[in-house]
Amino acid sequence: MKRVLLVLAAISLVGTFALAADPPPRSGGTVTVAITADPPGWDPTASTSQEIARVMYHNVYEGLVRLDRQGKIVPALAKSWTVSPDGKTLTFQLRDGVTFHDGTPFTADDVVKTFQRAKDKNSGHTHPEYYASIDTIEAGPGNTVVFHLSEPNSSLLFNLARPDSIIYPPSEAATQRSHPIGTGPFEFASYVPGSEVVLVRNPQYYIPGEPYLDKVVFKIMPDPNTRFAALQAGDLDMIASSLPPEQYLQIEKGAVPGVKGTEGTATTEITLALNNARPPLNNKLVREAITMAIDKQAIVKGAMFGLGTVISTHMTPAEPYYINPDPYPYDPAKAKQLLAEAGYPNGFKIKFELPQPYPIERRTGEVIAQQLKQVGIDAQVSVVEWTTWLKRIFLGGDYDMTIIGHSEPRDIGIYGNPNYYFHYDNPVVQNLLRQAEAATSPAVQTADYQEVGRIIAEDAVNVWIFSPPYLVAARNDIYGFWTNQPTPAIDMTRVYRAP
Amino acid sequence: MLGFIARRFLTAVVSVLLASVVVFSSLLAVPGDPAEAILGLNASPQALTALRHQLGLDRPAAARYLSWLGGIAHGDFGESLNYQRPVGRLIGGRLAVSIPLTLASALLACLIALPLGVLAALRRETLVDPLITAASQLGAAVPSFWLGLMLILFFAVRLHWLPAGGFAGWSVDPVRSLEQLALPVLALGLGQAAIITRMTRAAMIEVLDQDYVRTARAKGLAPRRVVGVHALRNAMVTIVTIFGLSLTNVFIGSIIIEQVFALPGMGRLVLTAIGARDFPLLQGEILVYATTIVGLSFLVDVAYGLLDPRIRYT
Repeated sequence: MKRVLLVLAAISLVGTFALAADPPPRSGGTVTVAITADPPGWDPTASTSQEIARVMYHNVYEGLVRLDRQGKIVPALAKSWTVSPDGKTLTFQLRDGVTFHDGTPFTADDVVKTFQRAKDKNSGHTHPEYYASIDTIEAGPGNTVVFHLSEPNSSLLFNLARPDSIIYPPSEAATQRSHPIGTGPFEFASYVPGSEVVLVRNPQYYIPGEPYLDKVVFKIMPDPNTRFAALQAGDLDMIASSLPPEQYLQIEKGAVPGVKGTEGTATTEITLALNNARPPLNNKLVREAITMAIDKQAIVKGAMFGLGTVISTHMTPAEPYYINPDPYPYDPAKAKQLLAEAGYPNGFKIKFELPQPYPIERRTGEVIAQQLKQVGIDAQVSVVEWTTWLKRIFLGGDYDMTIIGHSEPRDIGIYGNPNYYFHYDNPVVQNLLRQAEAATSPAVQTADYQEVGRIIAEDAVNVWIFSPPYLVAARNDIYGFWTNQPTPAIDMTRVYRAP
Repeated sequence: MLGFIARRFLTAVVSVLLASVVVFSSLLAVPGDPAEAILGLNASPQALTALRHQLGLDRPAAARYLSWLGGIAHGDFGESLNYQRPVGRLIGGRLAVSIPLTLASALLACLIALPLGVLAALRRETLVDPLITAASQLGAAVPSFWLGLMLILFFAVRLHWLPAGGFAGWSVDPVRSLEQLALPVLALGLGQAAIITRMTRAAMIEVLDQDYVRTARAKGLAPRRVVGVHALRNAMVTIVTIFGLSLTNVFIGSIIIEQVFALPGMGRLVLTAIGARDFPLLQGEILVYATTIVGLSFLVDVAYGLLDPRIRYT
């Protein structure tokens, strides 16, 4: 833990130095940012589409708490909070004088109703399980809100920092998908489907002087080459999601005049998911062999041009409990031997399905198929359309092998769900995860999560390939944007333009 | 003549209805439903059930189809599940991009292709024909999205003459909107021109070999008159077909071009609707596509009848 803190301190120091070199913030101006698709509405509690969070989270909608640039939980609509010694009561002190964009005041009652709705499984909220430990919520004295938990839950505070925990006027839940009303630094101004979303400065924002920009335009541009061309042509000011590594490297080399690039951390694990219930993958020796047949370093070099961190369990360096156990390092000879031991001396044929919308996953998948061939495994690659992938593979668990980036932060809990599409059922892991959830001490929680990380690596549940970096391209006169992505959001609050 | 038009019209209406049934039933066979697409990864089963009920997806398919058809009869296309807006309004907004794009591209294609095709047919013995043929072969082989990217790189990134993509909207900034359509029209039109050039050349050559052209030449008519009146008018039947075809091709081809130029047109709306399993929106769009294509071939049929009286009775 100490080491983690030291690293964090070092990162924030570097951050301060970088900031010191930036010109002082000034107000005014517009920044145009690319996003890749029309999401299904703009309510982060009604869909898990990350485009919603990218545009809306912190810009328009806020929650009680939030993550800062280093991934630390910090105050937002709650000024402060206390946790009772038994870990079962959380008291939030709310900010005074906050209003929603429609002019109505933000009250403790709004918070109570928001989380009563969130934990209701029939409300249409996408993740009621995040709030399952909340027994009752009530408004307390002096503009406070008290959460009474049925059992201690160490993840709750983090869950409250997710985009799913944003607060809007509870009476207007039904219209949020088309008419978002939040408390954030920007107000939702207009949306032309397929074209753009416009946010304008919220003059009533409770932090004086913020935001700096008058207007932010999110342009919907599905094609990465078009986005890059638009940036070069000056039609676009920023690409802050899905910037391909090769484009970032061009910017790094100075090949795009007037544009700078940054490389930071994100919480995505590019995961070769294995169906642990289906032969031959239900044989641990086979899964070990597959792990040892894959040269992750070569993938990062070949498919990512060297950008990315090799990982060996479901954890990225951006998460507080990061470890890299690597029990089965690259060794194709050993992999062949393991296959023979498992009864497949001549290898086997297996279906390998790649998700159509994700170029990094598709590229990585092609390389993996080649590498598996070296040890005799014939991975038959096919590309699957996204909704089909969601339905059959992800929700239905009907597949052999697939590859996907798990981008949600701190989501190791998925390994405790035997119905999840990995079909991994290990009571030891399930117990540890429950223990970690109920832990009142962060040190105990971290130790539990790390133990889970080691066990799933040891069991070779999946092959965790690498964690791609968070890449941003922006015009040279733009400052203050986030260079790390602890949670999917393009927070424009402190972005400014200075010549 | 009226009977001919009425018969063709009836066929067209039946075709559109059949298309809507085919589309509706094929959507039922596709895996994944709108609730899953909207809720995305990690959604709880309860949330899925709740949303399915809210969207009316738990009603039988036949009932949904009939109520949709009933709505259409009253001019109501229903509401998009993904955008939560009326389908009619969404499609209307997209057609404001797609119709100008399609018409301008098809027109550009014909303006380039007709003279070139005729020229190639007339200059068969010289270098002109193989040059035009080679150029049109190259043009037909180049994928339109690649051509689009090259145009962006040259005109937008390098010369800064035209925007790289997007669409301002006719009411917001008409001049900018026109500028933003220029490169997509070029990308679509050039590819289409290559195909039409080859077809025009072939049609002209066939007509030029006919006896009546030889007769016209033999009786000493000016070459311009031989080509312009005797040959071209007779080649018109083929050329009208080609124009109709090219409108259809461009309308369909714009799906990719809209993606490349980030244009909010019909094509991208279709892709979004498929991805989101937005059935009401998709049905409305397919209906518009089917009506357009059937409508165009109906118009071409009628034009045939006008150009060539023999066709009415066949």
